[in-house]
Amino acid sequence: MRIEARVFVAGMVFFAPVGIVYGVVTDWDEEVGTTAILLAAGLSGLIGLYLGALSRRIDERPEDDPAGEVSDGAGELGTFAPHSWWPLAVAVATALTFAGLAVGWWLVLIGLPLVVLATVGWVFEFQRGGYAR
Amino acid sequence: MVTTSELDSSLADPPLPARERRPFPGVDPVAGVARPNTVQVGTIVWLASELMFFAGLFAMYFTIRSVSPALWQEGPERLDIPFSLANTTVLVLSSVWCQLGVHAAERYQARARGPWWMPWTREHGWGNWGMREWYGLTLLSGTVFVAGQAVEYAKLVAEGLTISSDAYGSVFFLTTGFHGLHVIGGLGAFVLLLAKTLSVRRFARSEAIGAIVVSYYWHFVDVVWIGLFTVIYILR
Repeated sequence: MRIEARVFVAGMVFFAPVGIVYGVVTDWDEEVGTTAILLAAGLSGLIGLYLGALSRRIDERPEDDPAGEVSDGAGELGTFAPHSWWPLAVAVATALTFAGLAVGWWLVLIGLPLVVLATVGWVFEFQRGGYAR
Repeated sequence: MVTTSELDSSLADPPLPARERRPFPGVDPVAGVARPNTVQVGTIVWLASELMFFAGLFAMYFTIRSVSPALWQEGPERLDIPFSLANTTVLVLSSVWCQLGVHAAERYQARARGPWWMPWTREHGWGNWGMREWYGLTLLSGTVFVAGQAVEYAKLVAEGLTISSDAYGSVFFLTTGFHGLHVIGGLGAFVLLLAKTLSVRRFARSEAIGAIVVSYYWHFVDVVWIGLFTVIYILR
């Protein structure tokens, strides 16, 4: 995972000095660009430093082996839903709510309870029915 | 004669060393090697994009301040610094409670070992409280912060500063308001997480990972508030 970490840290190594140079050149009088560039350094730094810390705590993945085969990656990848309608329900409810901001507040009042319902349904989908644990 | 529990323990895998039993980084039960967790990595990538969302808000604030500096002569004068500083302290401390909850989740400890009204006991130290107690305290602190912001908003609106009164009001309520919505979203995540840990029989890896990623989000929202507070209330 070191390669991924380096790719993202490179963004931070580029943007952080650029942000400081930008600040010095504009006499620290132009906060918009300075903040945006420094936060862009934060954007790549957050991912890069996290992956860097993670790479020290995990074992070598098959992807990290230059002579790795596709079959080396076989095995458990994680826990996934076999199929689920809840993401669609969340998407429709969220779309209704945000459409309400443009159309009228009455639609938000209909949309918000649906967002809550769909989110609870998604979070608890493995707590009920045939998949309950 | 072999009892059922002895049979169970002889069939089970030998216990992993303490470091590897922690949910992070997480050991693949098949291959026996530590693998990155997709939920955690995904949360961090999403939070990085959230940082750019707030970068947009900062850009809006600084742009409007630079084109109409007159509004900043009187606008920030209305802010109640001691009150908002106390509110900020509540939010920053809630991050500490949240992290103590993460430590409990990494021990797979859902609830208090001793009396729940004592976070610290002689026998268990700070390990007395489980994840639920610490996250409950975090939820309470976050609620106090949101309530404090509501009080602050009510006072400002009563003094005539609204989202449509002038450009200062617009950027003030948009930046702090979007942050407040994020805090409310975090409170919802805490409620769902607590409900989930109460509904499962065993506090397992999936609950621990959930607790950890919610804590990532909470720390992020906290750090963003420190930035917003510094810019809006201190630097003005």
